[in-house]
Amino acid sequence: MAADALRGSHGPARQHLLTADFGTPGLHRLDVYRRCGGYGSLEKALKEMAPEEVHAEVKTSGLRGRGGAGFATGTKWGFLPKDVPGPRYVVVNADESEPGTSKDRYLMENSPHLLLEGACIAAYAVGAHQIWIYLRGEYDKPYRLLTAAIAELRREGILGPSPFGRDHLLELQIYRGHGAYICGEETALLDSLEGKRGQPRSRPPFPAVKGAWGRPTLLNNVETLSALPWIVMHGGAEYAKFGTDRSRGTRLLSVSGNVEKPGVYEVELGVTFRHVIMELAGGPSPGRRVKVFWPGGSSAQVLPESMLDTTTDLDELARVGSMAGSGGVIVMDDAHCVVRAAHRLLRFYANESCGKCTPCRTGGNWAVRTYERILAGEGSALDLQILDRIQDSLQNGRCLCALGDSAGFVIMSTMKYFRDEYEEHALRNECSAERTAAVHA
Amino acid sequence: MPDGDNLVTLTIDGQTVSVPRGTLIVEAAKKVSVEVPVFCYHHKLDPVGACRLCLVEISPGPPKPQTGCTTPVAEGMVVRTNTAMAVGARADILEYELVNHPLDCPVCDKGGECPLQDYTFRHGYPTSRIDAPRLHFKKPIPLSEKIALDRERCVLCYRCTRYYDEIAWEQELTAEQRGIHTFISSQFDQPLRSIFSGNIIDLCPVGALTSRVWRFESRPWDMDHTASVCSKCAVGCSVMLWQRRNQLVRVTSHENDEIDEGWICDRGRFDYTEVNDPKRLRVPQVGGRDSTWDSALEALVAGVGGKKLGISLRQDVTNEELFLVSRLLAGPWRGARVALQRRTRIPAPDGDTLRIRDLDDCKAIVVAASDTADDVPIVNLRVKKAVSKRGARLVIVNPDNLDLDRWPYAFHVRNEPGKAAGALLELAGHELLSEGPVAILWGDGHGTEDVVALGAAAQQLAARVNGSVMPLYRSTNERGALAAGLAATADDLEGCEALICFGPPAFSRIPSSARFVAVWDTVLRPEHGSPDVVLPAVSFAETQGSYTNLEGRVQFLRPVLPVEPPLRESWEVLCDLGLRLGVGGIDFLGIFHVQRAAAEAIAGFAALADPPPPQPEPTPVMYGPARP
Repeated sequence: MAADALRGSHGPARQHLLTADFGTPGLHRLDVYRRCGGYGSLEKALKEMAPEEVHAEVKTSGLRGRGGAGFATGTKWGFLPKDVPGPRYVVVNADESEPGTSKDRYLMENSPHLLLEGACIAAYAVGAHQIWIYLRGEYDKPYRLLTAAIAELRREGILGPSPFGRDHLLELQIYRGHGAYICGEETALLDSLEGKRGQPRSRPPFPAVKGAWGRPTLLNNVETLSALPWIVMHGGAEYAKFGTDRSRGTRLLSVSGNVEKPGVYEVELGVTFRHVIMELAGGPSPGRRVKVFWPGGSSAQVLPESMLDTTTDLDELARVGSMAGSGGVIVMDDAHCVVRAAHRLLRFYANESCGKCTPCRTGGNWAVRTYERILAGEGSALDLQILDRIQDSLQNGRCLCALGDSAGFVIMSTMKYFRDEYEEHALRNECSAERTAAVHA
Repeated sequence: MPDGDNLVTLTIDGQTVSVPRGTLIVEAAKKVSVEVPVFCYHHKLDPVGACRLCLVEISPGPPKPQTGCTTPVAEGMVVRTNTAMAVGARADILEYELVNHPLDCPVCDKGGECPLQDYTFRHGYPTSRIDAPRLHFKKPIPLSEKIALDRERCVLCYRCTRYYDEIAWEQELTAEQRGIHTFISSQFDQPLRSIFSGNIIDLCPVGALTSRVWRFESRPWDMDHTASVCSKCAVGCSVMLWQRRNQLVRVTSHENDEIDEGWICDRGRFDYTEVNDPKRLRVPQVGGRDSTWDSALEALVAGVGGKKLGISLRQDVTNEELFLVSRLLAGPWRGARVALQRRTRIPAPDGDTLRIRDLDDCKAIVVAASDTADDVPIVNLRVKKAVSKRGARLVIVNPDNLDLDRWPYAFHVRNEPGKAAGALLELAGHELLSEGPVAILWGDGHGTEDVVALGAAAQQLAARVNGSVMPLYRSTNERGALAAGLAATADDLEGCEALICFGPPAFSRIPSSARFVAVWDTVLRPEHGSPDVVLPAVSFAETQGSYTNLEGRVQFLRPVLPVEPPLRESWEVLCDLGLRLGVGGIDFLGIFHVQRAAAEAIAGFAALADPPPPQPEPTPVMYGPARP
């Protein structure tokens, strides 16, 4: 593989906090990784820092979860109760299934040791000895790379009773998922890890207090944990120099869809989506315009072209009625129909619905059938009303987990910005997007 | 009893209420007669918040509605169930449940006592905007001989699978597929075999799980119901007997937290069809031909005269009948051998024994020489609850594996058959029993154990570990028979020349030595052979009387069916017999007189002096006759 193809951002080197060494041949091997400075952070943490100091650095860094919720990582670590005796666990959420997102796979395939080092640092910081990686079942290559990496660590004693001579047992296993998007949700992941049907639990209690097998559990995303080695080596204050006031650091954006250069890009938080989509990813094909984009996976509310100057700051995205989510930027140009896209996404959510709670299970399926009626030319104003009612009753705490809310966001945001397309389809059985496509074809 | 420190005051829909700490909002709302509809919540199952029907607005709290079934009350909490958001949320969820729900009401057995119907009327939208085709499944699916599953009606509240998992510790029911295609099925499509399977019928809030025995029998409003006591084993669960047109049409649970907590086993629930059997005995017979009570009783007295008499008693013989039989045995029938169907040989206990509800508070439970799921099923469920929900440790003393072994932390002492007493004594000082109170349940190992030695060992162990014993009798009224002094006389009726068989014969056969056989039962059974005299008996659904359960608790039956002549009540027949035999002071005018006399004559029947009034207090009907 050419080094260029693996390298993340095409921008200046200062943004390469995560992907700095990507492209180095053999980076997935322990010896190469160590030559690049790998496991220096874990050694430093174990030998020179107390767990509380590691925790403090993470807090100072301002790192926020990169899985989708964007919760302050340092704060989340603090939720694990200090005075509860017995085992506690670290679980890595590697069940990357959000449509449009491939950054975790990118990280694991390029540098599996980066994730392992980060997970070990987290385990040390919260007093856990057992780590599980819940890996999406379809991720064959990451599984093989991680398994080999884990074997290397065991041989070196970095996984074992005394990593780097410190008396803090570290043990790590991979659990492979069986093909369910819902198992990326925290509590459904824990249920699946325990061997049950992957269905979310009612919260509270939260995993930090009662997680895997009822024990305090820290659940973090792959990218979040992969940021830890850099933070520990250089200090939280250095990390906080990147990004914006409330969204520190860098993140990986997976850009896909109608762009010339789809790929995974590491950007400093605060750059605009115009920079990411038009400059980094090359924008849409000649003659096409960006019509709509999903800033953070299909679960994020869509934004139209007019809002391309929105920045990647997590809070700003929330302010404009969207979310940073998983960083999966999906771009759609003007030759494609938004209603069809929404239908396709609803089919995904309805198929992936676990079926535990009524609104998502039934509402998702009902929405799909309504879309099918509309797209088959049998729609009416009543169908638009139905979609409106469904999206409202999927959100705002009605559902047991965020999958329902996400399905609601798809309907709500596409109807908000593209109501004319919906009305075209439902009331007149026409599609202006297809006309545009035909003209340019 | 909740003390002042343990009470939390909150406001629900403007009304103030104080409830114990830890109460869930839906339960607190019931106290002020506010109905928060629920499907997946059941007060005996762990809350999950799956169906989302109980959404209410809580302040202080997030701006979105919360599920009332998973949220415990907090001091000063303000709960509103009637704001636009909560009302709309509930109506939306109900609409969703109905999207795929078939329009089966006219043919669905749940109609009339169906929470989905009731909630839709009370909380749902008045009109429907659903005209899309619904999901279809093959239906009905027979889950067992007694239970049918209708997947189209299922609202996926998961009460059935959770009940099986949490309460019964079995995995017979599971959900397959996911999302809208989820359906309930039995594991590997095998029929349900558990003795606890019937409770899912009562749990199911819609007509998805229905009783095949009661299928299409009746509408709830056509039935009269009465709370009575189950007659199938010594636990004595509270049951509800339902009758329509003088037929006993179904049996459900009448929740009694002292004993059964709302569960009954399949024996109690489904073994009632004998009452309506068309071959039910109604007329006395002599020599195989219909006769009169007069002739039959004369023939009986004559046939028994001068012979060695054996009396076989049905396991659910009532206290009153036992008293009268003891009067006959004190007089003209002195020396007769008496055998009680299905009895253990456990003698009467020395003092008080552990109450079933006290299992909840035990820190450790020892189960010795008994397969509780078979002998005392509902006590088995109570043990499982104490172990899995209240942290009790479990010690099993048994040669074989039991269902209780499914608990991963159970400690199983595998004794040789007959050596349980020694194994029990060795447990004194075991660290699992170091914290009391300890419950020691012990049975007769189905005849393999020396019950006297085992009883003594249990008492010794109890004394050493701050424990109490619960001997597990098997016959419904074994303790009543012990109190009347009638249980322990005969192991075998072989050698008796005359036999009076009240109910099914003890040891399942008439002794070959019997030259005269009189049968007094509800139906004629093959085991009865061809008796000389047949007397028709009233069933448990027609009997007035009482049983003493294994705790020593006297519980009174309430008949739901009238006694139709020529059937006569048992006490009446026994008094008639007594008069013919010349027994004095047996001409009682009514059942209450029998009970008062029994209370005075026998110490264990003292409670008979104060029977409850004939009509039960009306239970507040919030959800319809059978609980949701």
